[in-house]
Amino acid sequence: MRKDKDYHLTDPTWCKGCGIYGIFAALKKVAATLDLDPEQLVIVTGIGCHGRLNNYFLSYGFHALHGRTLPVASGVKLSNPSLSVLAISGDGDAYSIGLGHFIHSLRWNINITYLVVDNRIYALTQGQTSPTSETGFVSVSTPYGSKELNLNGPQLALASGGSFIARGFSGDPAQLSRLIKKGMRHKGFALIEVLSPCVTHNKVNTYNWFKKNIYNLDDDSNYDAKDKMKAWKKLSAEKKIPLGLIYVEKRPSYEDLVFRKEAEPIVSGDLGVDAPRLEKIMEKFK
Amino acid sequence: MHKKGKMITDISVMIAGMAGDGVLFTGNVLAKILKRQGWEISTYRDFPSNIRGEPTNYTIRASLERIHGRGDDIDVFIAFDCDAIFKHSRSLAEGGILLCDGEDFVAPPPSKSKARTYHRFPLRKLAISNFGKEIFKNMIALGALCYILDLDFRVVERIISEAFLKRKGREVVRKNIQAIHLGCEQAKETVAPEELHALVKRRDSDMLFLSGDEAIAFGALAAGCRFFAAYPICPATEIWQWLAVYLPQFNGLVVQTEDELAAMNMILGASYAGARAMTSTSGPGGSLMMEAFGLAGMAEIPIVVVDVQRAGPSTGMPTKTEQADLNQWIYGSHGDFPRIVLSPGTVEECFEFIIKAFNLAEKYQCPVILLTEQDYGQGFRSAKRFDLSKVEIERGKLLSQEELINIKDFKRYEFMPDGISPRALPGMKNGLHMVESNEHDERGYRDEDPEIRVRMMKKRMEKLKSASKDLIAPKIWGKRDAEIGIIGFGSTFGPIQEAITQLEKNGIRAKYLQMRTLWPFPLKKVEEFLATCKKTFVVENNFSGQLSMLLKSQVRTPFDARNILNYSSQAFRPREISTHIQKAL
Repeated sequence: MRKDKDYHLTDPTWCKGCGIYGIFAALKKVAATLDLDPEQLVIVTGIGCHGRLNNYFLSYGFHALHGRTLPVASGVKLSNPSLSVLAISGDGDAYSIGLGHFIHSLRWNINITYLVVDNRIYALTQGQTSPTSETGFVSVSTPYGSKELNLNGPQLALASGGSFIARGFSGDPAQLSRLIKKGMRHKGFALIEVLSPCVTHNKVNTYNWFKKNIYNLDDDSNYDAKDKMKAWKKLSAEKKIPLGLIYVEKRPSYEDLVFRKEAEPIVSGDLGVDAPRLEKIMEKFK
Repeated sequence: MHKKGKMITDISVMIAGMAGDGVLFTGNVLAKILKRQGWEISTYRDFPSNIRGEPTNYTIRASLERIHGRGDDIDVFIAFDCDAIFKHSRSLAEGGILLCDGEDFVAPPPSKSKARTYHRFPLRKLAISNFGKEIFKNMIALGALCYILDLDFRVVERIISEAFLKRKGREVVRKNIQAIHLGCEQAKETVAPEELHALVKRRDSDMLFLSGDEAIAFGALAAGCRFFAAYPICPATEIWQWLAVYLPQFNGLVVQTEDELAAMNMILGASYAGARAMTSTSGPGGSLMMEAFGLAGMAEIPIVVVDVQRAGPSTGMPTKTEQADLNQWIYGSHGDFPRIVLSPGTVEECFEFIIKAFNLAEKYQCPVILLTEQDYGQGFRSAKRFDLSKVEIERGKLLSQEELINIKDFKRYEFMPDGISPRALPGMKNGLHMVESNEHDERGYRDEDPEIRVRMMKKRMEKLKSASKDLIAPKIWGKRDAEIGIIGFGSTFGPIQEAITQLEKNGIRAKYLQMRTLWPFPLKKVEEFLATCKKTFVVENNFSGQLSMLLKSQVRTPFDARNILNYSSQAFRPREISTHIQKAL
């Protein structure tokens, strides 16, 4: 049985108190609980503070371009479905520059687990307003307050056909671990948005602020995550932010639909030139 | 001028009308008939970026010689409306014949003018009165062509049957053949015997008949491409559409992404995982791929990108031809990284080069671009049967699990004298590493140490030097001792060859350097060629002379070169090149 420390490559250097430490800890815990072989796990990260995770976590890693984690992760998973593929983005990566990929990945339902680390600010570039910053947010890029509505990722995911939508909080690594574990076991695309305070640049959305503004659906025995309308209602409520498993449905994954059941991964296929078969195809050009 | 009884060795037939008229279908049936009668074929599609209601034309050229492009003149011209006549009748050859539906003629042209014949030919009226449907005008036109070109009706009927029997049934075949016979009978009444362009018949050869796009798709399949991601774009989509049918039959996957950014990043993921992966696009899609193009260079991931160039800039002219993406792929994307750019000149080379592209990509772990054009991308050509025994799959330094397990301290980006490091795939034991879009160390982990940076940059760029001996060398055509040199790449291959023949008839000897690898620049061969030329002409389908600029930036010795440029969105005609050279001498 593997242990958390088996995935610990080096000590991270995120700012002291950064929410991503909680995510790092949760990920190690999930990997150990699921007994994932680091050599069978690919973590694709985007650009932002979260993108450093590959430097600290032992697995195959791919630090992609800003906003492009999902297409890379999809290419990996489709070529070799036997790998566990985890993609991580920040709020800028997922909801701004890479938003197109976000919506289409939900639609495709490839078997990938996707963490969106939402700190409601562009941290690595020193504190600009992000798509999840609340209207009126004052930052170096919006000194007179932002005028745009903030984006609600899980709600957008629900509208885009997401088959697994959850939200966690880096201040609660135990619940976060449960959600990630569920997501990784889910057959299809699993979105887990993680509220994750930036202690250096975001002085509004602090640990205390989040604690005051969240509530937990997992504690509500009347809540049914299979009920799409209920999920929509919870996500539409203006004030408090729901955490936990928000929505889940059973739907064939993209791989289920495009590959034969017994098919071996593309990467294991024999590339040898099947001349007789190709000659036959060539005849069609006559 | 084709006089009666004179041997015709080369003929061009233009069919023109409005988009939606069925011009392409009619033309392709004619092309197939001619191909089955043993002629070499080259077709040229000049169509609008619109489904219906704008002028379109299709030229089918047949020759007893090998041809790789449209010729100079139109010998036989069938027009479904007048608009087409006013646009193209200037291209009608001396002795040429034009049949026009002509119902909407306001001022008809004279029936004979400057040794050219014009006939009214009521295609629509005949179609409606005999078959009740306008669409039969196409087969009536084809019937008229069969008469003018003296085609073998058995071949014609066989091809019509191939085209319709499975899809539409016996009755449709019968009606279409009836329409062809009607067209033939009507032409007999209209066209005088001396206006005929009777073609000799030869036996059907083993030649193929396909577009450059199809040759690339087939070549990719043969080369072991098993992952293809793309976004729809003219004139490259035919590659995808072909692969979409065949890749799944070979346990491969074709996916349609939300945009070209996703397509490029997805093939990076697929190739990193170990699949031979490719995308196809045209100029605008290429622009969107630029950032990930650099990632392929930085992370040393083998990928193949086909750019079937169209007329730019911006949305430009999506269905027209141009060669103006050269700079985009040689200089495009920020920062310095290795890339290889190949340029096939014929449909046969499309097949050969795409196979080479996959091997180069894996051997040198870098992006390889196959630069083609709408001209022969969407145009159909007869081509020599592809030799599958020559297809080799070389995966370079990709490690097997057995090799990897025996390596102590595996480093994915290990410094090597040739710049090429051993490669492991995710899922392999003992191969853990990082793929970084940031600058990185030998294990792939982010590193901003200036010394490492310099070594890594050198390592990556060194791969191009290692590749230089393995690339497709430029090819010299024509008489070696000629003092007039012509340099070109891509689709100018055919027109330049024909221009050389035309020049020779006027006592001018010229030779031609076909650039087949554009980057890394084949400096030695180009310098050797230039040294033997007194005057050189660089022929390109673009405004600024992108190849010419490349030559000037690379060649160290002074040379006398002039540009022959065509940025009209149309392919060169051989005469454009030969007259330009004659005037310049």
